[in-house]
Amino acid sequence: MPGFDFSNYNRNAALHARGVPLPKATSTGTTIVGCIYDNGVVNCEKLHYIAPKIWCAGAGTAADTEFTTALISSNVELHSLSTGRDPRVITCMTMLKQHLFRYQGHIGAYLVVAGVDPTGVGLYTVHAHGSTDKLPYVTMGSGSLAAMSVFESMWQPDLNKEGAIALCAEAIKAGIFNDLGSGSNVDVCVIEKDKPTQLLRNYEKPNERGQKERNYRFPRGTTAWLNQKVISKEDMKKYVTIETLSGDDNLAAGEKMEVDV
Amino acid sequence: MDHQARETVGYSFSESTASGVKQHGFYPYTDNGGSTLGITGSDFAILAGDTRSTSGYNINSRMVPKVFKIGGDDETGEGANIVLSVVGFAADGTALKERLDTVVRMYKYQHGKPMTVSACAQRLSTILYQKRFFPYYVHAILAGLDEEGKGALYSYDPVGSYEREQCRAAGAAASLIMPFLDNQVNFKNQYIPGSGEGHALAAKKAEPLPLETVKGLVRDAFTSAVERHIEVGDNLQMVIITKDGIQEVYHPLKKD
Amino acid sequence: MVSQHGVQGVLGEDGIHVDMQHLKSGEVNLGTSIMAINFKDGVILGADSRTTTGAYIANRVTDKLTQVHDTIWCCRSGSAADTQAVADIVSYHLNMYGVVNNEAPSTQVAASLFQELCYENKDSLSAGIIIAGYDPRHGGQVYSIPLGGSLHKQSFAIGGSGSTYIYGYTDAHWKENMTEAEGIDFVRNSLQEAIKWDGSSGGVIRMVVLTKKGAVRHLYLPDTNYTGPGVTN
Repeated sequence: MPGFDFSNYNRNAALHARGVPLPKATSTGTTIVGCIYDNGVVNCEKLHYIAPKIWCAGAGTAADTEFTTALISSNVELHSLSTGRDPRVITCMTMLKQHLFRYQGHIGAYLVVAGVDPTGVGLYTVHAHGSTDKLPYVTMGSGSLAAMSVFESMWQPDLNKEGAIALCAEAIKAGIFNDLGSGSNVDVCVIEKDKPTQLLRNYEKPNERGQKERNYRFPRGTTAWLNQKVISKEDMKKYVTIETLSGDDNLAAGEKMEVDV
Repeated sequence: MDHQARETVGYSFSESTASGVKQHGFYPYTDNGGSTLGITGSDFAILAGDTRSTSGYNINSRMVPKVFKIGGDDETGEGANIVLSVVGFAADGTALKERLDTVVRMYKYQHGKPMTVSACAQRLSTILYQKRFFPYYVHAILAGLDEEGKGALYSYDPVGSYEREQCRAAGAAASLIMPFLDNQVNFKNQYIPGSGEGHALAAKKAEPLPLETVKGLVRDAFTSAVERHIEVGDNLQMVIITKDGIQEVYHPLKKD
Repeated sequence: MVSQHGVQGVLGEDGIHVDMQHLKSGEVNLGTSIMAINFKDGVILGADSRTTTGAYIANRVTDKLTQVHDTIWCCRSGSAADTQAVADIVSYHLNMYGVVNNEAPSTQVAASLFQELCYENKDSLSAGIIIAGYDPRHGGQVYSIPLGGSLHKQSFAIGGSGSTYIYGYTDAHWKENMTEAEGIDFVRNSLQEAIKWDGSSGGVIRMVVLTKKGAVRHLYLPDTNYTGPGVTN
């Protein structure tokens, strides 16, 4: 069966009525913005891929933005394949709004859709209940008010690429600093006509972690233990196959772990 | 509407309380976030707090100190030997600090000698308990040097229950900072390597730490708390009490 | 709780204001001033441009005048999501009608489609819609569909939260068979008054004039006290 599984609905409603709290979904404290310029569009923070030239920034319930954009991305690609045309931003926006409207706001995805298609530049916001707006500059998320104040005071109709990126970054920073729900770094996505999309992860890092002053490495043996059991490699081989990697420690881990010195 | 159906199902759903009557409320308290922390040594005490004041997801101010000198000069706080930190509802915090400050200065005026930290601690407890049924919504920490010159630290609940301690974290990030303090100041969960087997392994004994070590711990506690608590940030205010007087220093913290 | 939803009336006591409790929390709302009038050569639709989420203005240049066919338009008030969805569905059906019958649908057909959706889904919709259109057979026509989903053919219609402030004004100043200039002035002055008194209306005034010549958009900015620039296409 496609779609959501509601088989636990009645049980959960009964439990809730007896005072069991509902599980809380992770909400993204977020500032997301978008801004169009002469022949492209800039899109900032928490980015989701829809199509090569259509990107989505998401706020609200983290899981909902993730799955909704993934679903629409898939449908947009199938649509593009069946029509043999490049996908349009308005198509993606319409699919998103119809999906979200069907769920009457229960899917808590608040999105900024931005992209370039054969008809030109497109920039929209989509609210969880399914309403959409088309504007030259948009903001969403808990930091949207702080970010909008930057746009409303600094936005100009004739922005170039550099100006649009700088303005978006400034708007995001207003969210980072003035909204407690938003923080850390600025990601930027620049979508331009006839050019590959640029995803600038950590475009600005205004909040590097403060250096620790003391050393918190414990001498070996600090932790108490009551008994130990040593399992040798030979014992393990009875249950699993073991392959020895080369001496390079970095090979196993995908990313090198941060170690305090 | 379908009570019968509910009976047959065998479990009940809570009845909706929406009766069309609007509940009007008076909310005298707000949580202004922030965190404070106090540590004592053999001849000093440190009280520290961040300077951010919040309401909800908004920042009221990036520079509202939470640590106050008690019983000193009106403007400069000069001549004080007691320090109070308050975190929770900032308006109550200010009111409480004003009350205690007045009391300590009246004491000096009437008795001709400064109030001892232990006496001040007992008095603060009384002030808090007087408002037992409309409490000062704060977690207070009082610090100074005792009659022997040792660092003294007293921590309070909102209605005046208090205790002398080696160290205490309070406020929004207390649950993040306190375990760190337990481990690094009182050496909880730390054992002396090779001192024995199993239950015989000796726990690392807590001993008063030198001032520079404690300063480092306080700064590390706050730079770390800032990473994981949104209501903590902007600046760190550190007040250090020694026999030579009270020294106040500020350090920048992250502002996101 | 769950089963109760939608059972309670969505109409305010005055029958005009949207019951705010009914709107789900965080829903984007068009606390609006909208109107449409008949005049000598056709119809004029008018609307403010404010969209709010609570006290925050989510869009200050909203276009609440939505085209559903060549010369059939509507004014939307209530929930932004609901009215957009309804207008999209009606638009789809009217365009299908146009292709299948090789003839443009009449304004009445459009109004009936709107009514069907608004009436059958009255429990889950917060939508107050005014439909206005021009067709060669009937000329200009104005229909209003308030919250319950009833359909009313009128010489002129006002709607949205701001409309309560201009019942007296519009009644006192209404004339049948106005010229285009008189009609535009009537709509502009009425909406200016509604915007002045209603906190949830504001921004610019948008208008669409529908005649046998087609649709013409107008725009009036607060910067110039709603005197211009006027025609925009």
